[in-house]
Amino acid sequence: MKEPITLEGYQVTLRDLATTDLEMVRQWRNDPAVSQYMFDQQRISPEQQAAWFERQSQDPRQRHWVIEYRGQPIGMAYLKAVLENEDLQSPSRIEPGLYIADLNYRGNILAFAPTLLMNDFCFQRLGASCLQATVKADNHAALRYNCTLGYREAERHDDRVFIELIARDYEMASGPIRSFLNRPVRSQQ
Amino acid sequence: MTNQDILVDCFTTALAITSDTVTEALAYNSIPEWDSIAHMTLVAELESRFGVMMDTDDIIDMSSVAKAKAILGKYGVAFEG
Repeated sequence: MKEPITLEGYQVTLRDLATTDLEMVRQWRNDPAVSQYMFDQQRISPEQQAAWFERQSQDPRQRHWVIEYRGQPIGMAYLKAVLENEDLQSPSRIEPGLYIADLNYRGNILAFAPTLLMNDFCFQRLGASCLQATVKADNHAALRYNCTLGYREAERHDDRVFIELIARDYEMASGPIRSFLNRPVRSQQ
Repeated sequence: MTNQDILVDCFTTALAITSDTVTEALAYNSIPEWDSIAHMTLVAELESRFGVMMDTDDIIDMSSVAKAKAILGKYGVAFEG
């Protein structure tokens, strides 16, 4: 069993995915608004979801969180070690990913918050040297989103774009976003 | 320029849309131009033009033109009519 890790900051909380979340997450993942950007478009059954949860719970190379804002679940986030011989204890390359399922926050600056939390965690606590992602070439919103965070295109094959992020580029690019999400909130004043 | 004119100007600049699109009902997710990046640009534009600094709750809650006016009102920006 993996050690529980909760990340908090930028107004959101990332808490470990639990069995009680599985049906909610399955419905999110099967929503065409979410699944259209996934490489795997297959509709997921409750049995497949349970089997996936069991596998990822035991896998030291990946971790999945539920994103919460104001105590409500709004989406999912994950980290995966890229190299076969590494786990998430001290990975050199990590693939982060997320989706915002709650329509109220999908086009909102808040969508950056879980990514900032995970990227800080990867670079500062896990000591990763590079983050990477594969994005559908027609997912212009995700490409723009990642570009804003400092990602650069590494390769392009058919319908896929491979992008990478190093810590220095991330620190420089994410400054303005942090400044908006790190301000005082009313409940703290 | 009235505050309403400035507000419309902020939206057209930040979202790269025409001024006739900027109605009270315009909300994020209703047009592709208003995404998380444009949202950030919009907040920067509003803060710069109206000389205010909003707290994070208000930034996150700014989900429509009507809501933007209500939030700016809390910072002393009055809109005619």
